[in-house]
Amino acid sequence: MIDEIREVARGWRWTRRPLVPRSAEPWQRPRQPREFPTAWARTPPAKAIREGVLRYGFKPVVWTETEPTVEGLDNLEMVKPPVMFVANHSSHMDTPLILCSMPKAWREQTAVAAAADYFFDVWWRAASTALVFNTFPIERTGGKRATTTAGRLVGEGWNLLVYPEGTRSKDGWLGRWRHGASRLCIEYGIPAVPIALRGTYAAMPRGRSWPLKGTPISVRFGPPLNAEEGEDFRSLSRRMQQAMARLWDEDATTWYESLRREADGTTPSLTGPQAPKWRRVWEAGRPPARRGKPKVWRP
Amino acid sequence: MTRPGFVLEVDERTPPLLVHEGEGFRLQKFPLGSQVIYPPDSLPPIKDVTGAIRQALLHPLNSEPLPELMKPGMRLTIAFDDISIPLPPMQTPDIRGRVIEQVLEIAARRGVDDVKLVVANSLHRRMTPAEIKRAVGERVYRSFWPEGLTNHDAEDPQGLTYIGETEMGEDVEISRRAAESDLLVYVNINLVAMDGGHKSVPVGLGSYKSLRHHHTVHTMLNSRSYMDPSHSALHESCGRMGRLLADHLRIFTIETTLNNDTFPKPFTFMNKREWEWSLADQAAYLAGKKANDSAPARIRREVFQRIASPYGVTGINAGETEAVHERTMANVHLQQLVEVDGQADVMVVGLPYISPYNVNSIMNPILVQCLGLGYYFNLYRNKPVVRKGGAMILFHPVPWEFHQVHHPSYVDFFDEVLSETTDPAAIEAKYEQQYASDPWYVHLYRNSYAYHGVHPFYMWYWGAHAMDYLGDIIFVGGDRSAVHRMGFRAASSFADALEMAGEIVGRSPKISYLHCPPLTIAEVR
Repeated sequence: MIDEIREVARGWRWTRRPLVPRSAEPWQRPRQPREFPTAWARTPPAKAIREGVLRYGFKPVVWTETEPTVEGLDNLEMVKPPVMFVANHSSHMDTPLILCSMPKAWREQTAVAAAADYFFDVWWRAASTALVFNTFPIERTGGKRATTTAGRLVGEGWNLLVYPEGTRSKDGWLGRWRHGASRLCIEYGIPAVPIALRGTYAAMPRGRSWPLKGTPISVRFGPPLNAEEGEDFRSLSRRMQQAMARLWDEDATTWYESLRREADGTTPSLTGPQAPKWRRVWEAGRPPARRGKPKVWRP
Repeated sequence: MTRPGFVLEVDERTPPLLVHEGEGFRLQKFPLGSQVIYPPDSLPPIKDVTGAIRQALLHPLNSEPLPELMKPGMRLTIAFDDISIPLPPMQTPDIRGRVIEQVLEIAARRGVDDVKLVVANSLHRRMTPAEIKRAVGERVYRSFWPEGLTNHDAEDPQGLTYIGETEMGEDVEISRRAAESDLLVYVNINLVAMDGGHKSVPVGLGSYKSLRHHHTVHTMLNSRSYMDPSHSALHESCGRMGRLLADHLRIFTIETTLNNDTFPKPFTFMNKREWEWSLADQAAYLAGKKANDSAPARIRREVFQRIASPYGVTGINAGETEAVHERTMANVHLQQLVEVDGQADVMVVGLPYISPYNVNSIMNPILVQCLGLGYYFNLYRNKPVVRKGGAMILFHPVPWEFHQVHHPSYVDFFDEVLSETTDPAAIEAKYEQQYASDPWYVHLYRNSYAYHGVHPFYMWYWGAHAMDYLGDIIFVGGDRSAVHRMGFRAASSFADALEMAGEIVGRSPKISYLHCPPLTIAEVR
């Protein structure tokens, strides 16, 4: 019997993404979208487990392996949940980093949008990410169903953490921006809080499974953005990107300098330099400069 | 929209595939590159079956509406297919019963008093009262059993009428009651392409004198295949007989077709393509496999024989036999036909627990041979799935076991005839007459529930084309002594069977697995 269970487990890839034989692919019925249930991950017991895992598991690891600095949390005092956190995305460590950077009250009330086709393809991955990061599935292909769950969660008072790029950056710079986040902000009248992440691409880009030890990382929360009267989602998306670019610039230079450059329209673009790929990757891989107290002595 | 059938090419993504092996089943890994022939998905069933039957009877093809064919004082005979189809038996209400009820309602309204129902069991065993009741339904059964509802007796000298000879000199002799009726209504279930049409009346209500003309080795060797009536000597002969009968007798044919919903819960995973099995299907497989393997043989057989298929009805056509059968065949092909490119070196099949001749019975080695080399091998049009001289690998335990009531002549055939020769032509020449006219077998056929004495011969002829065509026939998991008695080879595993087949087809043969049941017919290009 054990052998047969093993045979079935191997044949039907119990722990991995199910695959269809290549020659059968043209004959597959379009999959009826069926959303993985995640409501259980927002119950008090799941919340307690999540808090324990994040606070006593992820945070010590991330803060030990890398050197994060968190700035701009005072901006959260200006808003009340629910809000939409929007961040640039270039690493799997972005989500634990952001969640662990937040105050506990905000962290406990934040759900994370995760790609349905990637994080919710097999039950164990769906269940574990839902438990640990409070993820909910979002269809990257768009369509009506893409934002249904997100809208419901906002209605229930949950903050959402959304990566408008929809996937991790391949070269460390901002990718194509999708408008789901701004649509939701407008539809539900909630503010967007931009977050600029610097250094996570240098610490753990695509393909790495553990962060590069000692990499300086910066998590910077920006002032909330509210949709203006009659503003359309494209305009709000543009403002979100500008706010994020300014935050990035603020992190790279100073707050005042970033404001000046914003006023002059010279804020560096988050899409990176127009250069061959290797140079873009090279530039993105440069970690932020270390801050904090200068060392007592230098070698 | 129902998905058509298709041919899978096994790759590294392909899970192990379900293979039937008698009263059991297994998952089997196939070599990369093997072809697997899958039937189309089940067609959507007719929702209003009662309405469809009424429509067919009132608007028949090339015939007056049924009510117009009935009048007071007439003799009406209703014949219907016996227990050999469908397989497995369908969940009640059986479509035969539903059709017969409507025919009888019309007959009653038209004032017909002389009505008889006959099971068209040909040389098969008689159906038991319980089996008949299940097929026709309680109302019909209670109204007519036993005087008005009987099994056909192909050995009753008083109950047969000689109609005449076809242009090819074939004798046509059928049930006297049917032949002398003003109207014969035949109700059929067309499970596979070989059923129905002119094969229904001349065979179902015929006698040995009639059947001996087309149930021969020569006919079988010239039926390429008998699942393709347009290229089947068997069907040509039946056609000649049927047309002769139609000149003497008013026949109103009602044919029905079923979809491929073969297995009920909890065996529904057997209807599906393996990579589409849900977790529940996988669990059902594991639980079913474990339970089945651990159960005593008697319980296992009991469970399998109790399976009743949740078939949906896909077509009901009535009227003149040939016009009706043309529509029926289109329905059957829509449900079962799959286009296959080229022939294979090795054909693989998994034989299930049931064949037309062991419903509520035991599948003895001769029936295993008939199912594999007769039915499964012939599930093709144009060309066989396997090339000439290729090998056929069949999964079945081939137990040396016989049902003493149902298959008495099989026992003797297996012991006496096959131990001397397995050559169908030699067997036909030397032994057929002796068995066909043996008074004890005739007595058992008429009074017990035994298949006719000649029946095992026909089963052996059924496989004659395959035996003549194939280079090697290997049974995986088969009882060695039983398999050897029939002149085939036994292997303990699929890998061994491929190794053995390699002797004639080489080291890298092209393999085609006919994934059946559910039923499928390969249209080989």
